[in-house]
Amino acid sequence: MALPLKYNLRNVVVRWKTTGSTVLGVALVVAVYVLLEALAQGIEKNSANTGDPRNVLVVRKGSQAESSSLVTREQVRTLQYAEEIARDAKGEPLITADIMTLVSAMRIDLSGEANLILRGISARGAELRPQVALVQGRMFAPGKREVIVAKSLAGRFKNLDIGGALKAGPDHLTVVGIFTGGGSAFDSEAWMDVEEARALFDRDMYSSLLIRAKDEASLAALTNRIGSDKRLALLAQREVDYYKSQTGTAVPIKILANLLGTAMSIGAIFAAMNTMYASVGARTREIGTLRVLGYSRRTVVACFLVEGSIIALFGGLLGCGVAMMIHTYVIASGIMFGTMNFESFSETVFQFAVTPALMVKGLVFSVFVGLIGSLLPALRASRLPVISALKSL
Amino acid sequence: MTFVGFIAKNAFRNLRRAALTVLSMAVSLFLLVTLMTLVREFTIPPEDVGASLRVVVRNKVSLAQPLPYKQLTIIDKIPGVVAATPFTYFGGLFRDETSTMFAQFGVDPVRFTNIFIESKAPVEQVQDWVKDRQSCLVGKGTMDKYHLKLGERMRFTGTFYPCDLDLRIAGVYSGGIDDRNVFFHQKYLDEASGNPGTVGTWWLRIASAEVSPQVTRAIDQAFANTSAEVRAESERAFQMSFVSMWGNIKTLVGSIASVVVFSLMLVTVSTMSMAIRERFRELAILKALGFRRHEIFSFILAESFGLALIGAVLGVGGAWLFWSSINIQKVTAGTLIAFEVTPRLAAEGMLVAVVLGIVAAIPPSIAVGRTSVVAGLRTLD
Repeated sequence: MALPLKYNLRNVVVRWKTTGSTVLGVALVVAVYVLLEALAQGIEKNSANTGDPRNVLVVRKGSQAESSSLVTREQVRTLQYAEEIARDAKGEPLITADIMTLVSAMRIDLSGEANLILRGISARGAELRPQVALVQGRMFAPGKREVIVAKSLAGRFKNLDIGGALKAGPDHLTVVGIFTGGGSAFDSEAWMDVEEARALFDRDMYSSLLIRAKDEASLAALTNRIGSDKRLALLAQREVDYYKSQTGTAVPIKILANLLGTAMSIGAIFAAMNTMYASVGARTREIGTLRVLGYSRRTVVACFLVEGSIIALFGGLLGCGVAMMIHTYVIASGIMFGTMNFESFSETVFQFAVTPALMVKGLVFSVFVGLIGSLLPALRASRLPVISALKSL
Repeated sequence: MTFVGFIAKNAFRNLRRAALTVLSMAVSLFLLVTLMTLVREFTIPPEDVGASLRVVVRNKVSLAQPLPYKQLTIIDKIPGVVAATPFTYFGGLFRDETSTMFAQFGVDPVRFTNIFIESKAPVEQVQDWVKDRQSCLVGKGTMDKYHLKLGERMRFTGTFYPCDLDLRIAGVYSGGIDDRNVFFHQKYLDEASGNPGTVGTWWLRIASAEVSPQVTRAIDQAFANTSAEVRAESERAFQMSFVSMWGNIKTLVGSIASVVVFSLMLVTVSTMSMAIRERFRELAILKALGFRRHEIFSFILAESFGLALIGAVLGVGGAWLFWSSINIQKVTAGTLIAFEVTPRLAAEGMLVAVVLGIVAAIPPSIAVGRTSVVAGLRTLD
């Protein structure tokens, strides 16, 4: 016999006082889970967004991150006129030798200091990273102690607006421009002239090389050639692949999300169970009536399972709604989140990313809570002896 | 029937509901205490006994920027400094690991033992370490994790430094809070990396905790306007700077904790209301028998309070037992070190439970108070 779905739906609405708190409880669990996962996704999205598929990044073999890599000037000279490298109209190769270092800066609320990535780039450095666009001010002038800063960093650290100064050793770098990295890892960087950086930080070597390959075939050839040259001891890989692998920072947040999600959902299951037991107890006579009308035990079980899922689903929808609202608010007011990047020990800035897939995950999660929570009460309802159920008040 | 007996009978007359309430309370409090411990771990890093006597000197630009060797002679002469050693983070990869969860530091062995007084190692092992430039002193935690033996060799691939290390284990130390590090000769690193004449940081011991401000100021001033300006700070302040790097994560965990408390409140209040609604009629009878409003309130209060307290004991006690029985360093691969549920945190958890127990009794009590005896007697489920 068909399931009286309407009966369940109406029940949920009529007993809104008891179901309401369960709905809210599940909503909070789902909201917390979705938001935490959204943070982890934000970090991963940042890395996945970074780089140009035509570029090859060269670091020292054995280096975990660009910031700990060393490339000698000798190696740069060997590679810079390789025939696989794309050239511009004047015939100059599209390659940049970068220096990556950390500079500590005071937070805007003076609550403490954190490390920033300061990248020294060659003349081609900006051209090779089309995601980066100046939004204010101008590019730094080569040979001058000037720096351009990502917009999200300028909002988080003291004195990094245009005209401000970034203290680096005994000298200051004047901020002359603000750029955006288009939601990439470059949103957590400050850029200056590489030769100035080498002088300022007393560095003989570069950190990495970024090369634009002529085409797919020469990209493969170049990566192979560099990787197999024992004398160079360098590792070449596609720039996008390098950034995709830099996701260690998201791991602790993911662990936290799963831990909290599990623990909180156990609590929510208890709450749902309580509500459903009360609901079954209050409706003993109704259940008896259903049975007399010819609904089978199985239908009664299904009926209460459906009801539990509906309650939890309402909660899930509400939770996703709350997460969506917070997400919209955060995006609209330009709030960014920052934490330590475990690969480079520097501040990495990121944004929530509440994706549809995440919402679906949250909803599935809520239905699961509803099903588990109503299983025992549903079984109890189906086992009620019909006659005494009818007699009960 | 006594007053207490009456309340206990009422609380447990629906055993299943009582159990579910207590359990959901316990789970939430477990979570709450865990989160509070996490926040504490982020804000107050655990520290060794000797920490108040130690000062860390790093490059003002950032930790990643090295310091010149020649600074040591100047630091040695600053009044209040008892001993100073180079302390260089090597950051190598052990064997074929892709991420190594313990640190290796290049130090001056003779000076080192004067600074880290709480770390203990057998005298002959330390002497052996001091004598052999290619040997190292290894923390007990790391020895146990990799099942290493004295005399075995440890091979590290450099990530920051363009060289590798091959070290013989000369001694094992223990007694600190985080016994995982490997200490080796700074001189060996200098030779292997082509004598760059730099170190990572300086760590020093000072005469007493009182002179710490003077010493740090004197060191900062000594190198002001040089090519390598420094920041000297107490070990605690140094550790706190890592905490600052966690950024918004701390706030995030804090706000999640408040959401947990809120949902907890919701569940308890709703269960309490559910329990009271069920016996509206009985309460009306009590009223008819002459019980006063405040007496009925105290019945409800005692019941909700009692249930909350049982949940709290289970949750907070469970958290304390759980986190003190597992080896947090092993489980989180060294990200979290102490993770101690302190008496203060436990008390805070209990306090939340007590407040919840009281708050949960209020809405049903108001409902009962508002209903007249006649209306109460008439109510059906």
